[in-house]
Amino acid sequence: MSNAMRTPAGAITVERYQGAVAEGRFRRLWNANAPGYLFLLPWLIGFFGLTLGPALISLYLSFTDFDMLQSPRWVGMANYVRIATADPKFSAAMHVTLTYVVFSVPFKLTFALLVAMALNRGLRGLPIYRAIFYLPSLLGGSVAIAVLWRQLFASDGLVNAALAQIGIEGPSWISHPNYSIYTLVALSVWQFGSPMIIFLAGLRQIPQDMYEAASLDGASKFRQFYKITLPLLTPVIFFNAVVQTIEAFKAFTPAFIISGGTGGPINSTLFYTLYLYQEAFGNFRMGYASALAWILVVIIAIFTAFSFLSSRYWVHYDD
Amino acid sequence: MTLRVSRRNFVAGSAALLSLSALGTSALAQETRLRLLWWGSQPRADRTNKVSQLYQSKNPGTSITGEFLGWGDYWPRLATQVAGRNAPDVIQMDYRYIVQYARRGALAPLESYMPAKLNLDDFDKAQIEGGSVDGHLYGVSLGANSAATVLNTTAFKEAGVDLPTQATTWDEFARMGAEITKAGKRKGMFGLADGSGGEPLFENWLRQRGKALYTADGKIAFDVDDASEWYDMWAKFRAAGACVPADIQALDKNDIETNTVSLGKAAAGFAHSNQFVAYQAMNKDKLALTNYMRIKPDSKGGHYRKPSMFFSVSAQSKSIDQAVDYINFFVKNPEAVLLLDVERGIPESAAMREVVAAKLDDNGKVALAYVSGLGDLAGKLPPPPPAGAGEGELMLRNIAEQVGFGQLSPSDGGKQLVTEITQILARG
Repeated sequence: MSNAMRTPAGAITVERYQGAVAEGRFRRLWNANAPGYLFLLPWLIGFFGLTLGPALISLYLSFTDFDMLQSPRWVGMANYVRIATADPKFSAAMHVTLTYVVFSVPFKLTFALLVAMALNRGLRGLPIYRAIFYLPSLLGGSVAIAVLWRQLFASDGLVNAALAQIGIEGPSWISHPNYSIYTLVALSVWQFGSPMIIFLAGLRQIPQDMYEAASLDGASKFRQFYKITLPLLTPVIFFNAVVQTIEAFKAFTPAFIISGGTGGPINSTLFYTLYLYQEAFGNFRMGYASALAWILVVIIAIFTAFSFLSSRYWVHYDD
Repeated sequence: MTLRVSRRNFVAGSAALLSLSALGTSALAQETRLRLLWWGSQPRADRTNKVSQLYQSKNPGTSITGEFLGWGDYWPRLATQVAGRNAPDVIQMDYRYIVQYARRGALAPLESYMPAKLNLDDFDKAQIEGGSVDGHLYGVSLGANSAATVLNTTAFKEAGVDLPTQATTWDEFARMGAEITKAGKRKGMFGLADGSGGEPLFENWLRQRGKALYTADGKIAFDVDDASEWYDMWAKFRAAGACVPADIQALDKNDIETNTVSLGKAAAGFAHSNQFVAYQAMNKDKLALTNYMRIKPDSKGGHYRKPSMFFSVSAQSKSIDQAVDYINFFVKNPEAVLLLDVERGIPESAAMREVVAAKLDDNGKVALAYVSGLGDLAGKLPPPPPAGAGEGELMLRNIAEQVGFGQLSPSDGGKQLVTEITQILARG
């Protein structure tokens, strides 16, 4: 820099000087970081090619009428207008999905926390239990588990056989519109593994001496849980709630398998994503399905933003 | 590290590369590659692949790659491939979708290849028309089938009920069903499946009343009274215990595995004739095929012989000639036809029908006898269903379930069905 300052006036302008410095800085930055970008390249290609690119294309398609066989035709807001005003299946699907979110997320998190606390008590062979409890989550999205679930809850399935042992005649869980959504909620609660692992990690962070001090002061187990465990765990609860809510909005496979892709009986398992899939691939309305997808993006964004805003009042970060 | 290439190495390497690429192009120039896509199960794939191998052995220089999927996965895959300009050369096509694909320019018209390269002279004229859209041939029928009732003859015998005949009416059939349910020989078994949500059944019943599902120009061809009476008839059957309750019928995902007959929940169910072989394979009891019932003793014309599926050629294909030749081989070569049997329906070519008939096993004979013995019950093939027919089918079932679970009265169900289908068709 000082060398450049000493060159005769007029030979170099301020702009050129700054440009040269910027260029040099860029080159230095590049030289220092090139390997990093090189290693990032697969991810960058994946992000732009497989995530951002298709997302932007689908945003464009949501303003078109596109049947996948002919080129898309611009229709402006027509798809969004129809969703808002003239699509009873959209509200049916929204209702099913919200029911699912409202029931599955709290139950799943409660269950995950209970199991995590049980496992946290210094069990012998803890890694094995952790693995076993985590297994359903690994298999969770898979077709095989949904098929198994269908077998369990069929009218002559294992669940009703067990109920019959205690003299209760169970309904056909998966094929009655009043119950089918709750079998799917149960399936989701059973896949509590991943929030459970995170809870377990969170519980390990809570200093043991707090509990010791509390029990010396005569606090009951319940009071310790309520006054120590829960408040210190709120960041983890918050994280799990946000992630699981988004997951629940996106649920697809179990409903697809259990209803055979129809969302039946009587739209009782017509998850939002299942309806979106039907419109896109069953009815060749890719433009309309893209609009549905963007509405889902907005709804999830609103839910997430709301969670973050509310978190100020109940999540405690104290170090 | 840098790589140094001496001039001599460079020359030698280039020469090797050149000669290699020359080899490559000449090999490619000789070889025609055909891609096939169809829906179905493993047994169908085995038969199809054997025919492809046979074709390759008779046409050296042709390589054929075939792929298959289940019905539900098939249509998304095909639509995506067509949209991505990557469609297979030979496409298995269904009557429900042929208009959609043809009108949107995805399929190649084939009539100019007839009769020299594509010889369909001894095909049923009606079946050739079935593969035509707007005067062009877009699909070659791979076999004929018809909607049918599947009967568990063992269950009928146990309950002491005679099997229905071609003369049986719906009312009589419902009485038989109620008797079987009442006899209670098997735990949880009812007389009949609930057919109120089944489109082929509803269509058959409408045709016997002189109506149809859709007109040739894609409008709704039945009215509120038709639909209300239909739902009402099944509501009465349900109340009489003649058919399974709604929550049992809802288990049926419209495939062979979950049909109430396969599940052992009903002694009679509703299917298609070319599925009989698979139904029998899945059931320990002896099954039989019969027609859908008559609405009155003298009514006729409800059934029709339907092209079970077509082979179409992609309009994007680079080797349409070869694809047409393959299809011709598929439907007209005796060796190929013997390999295919009646798994895709009864062959459309009269000559090939004789070839197959001579070698059929008992189950194959049942399907053949049924389709050829429909007599006055078989009428004209209806026009191909319009775009939106798939949604209409789901709607018929959805409302049937609402009526079945008591959420709608049959007359409101009829009203709603007509309104919804009219809207679906208007949207296109």
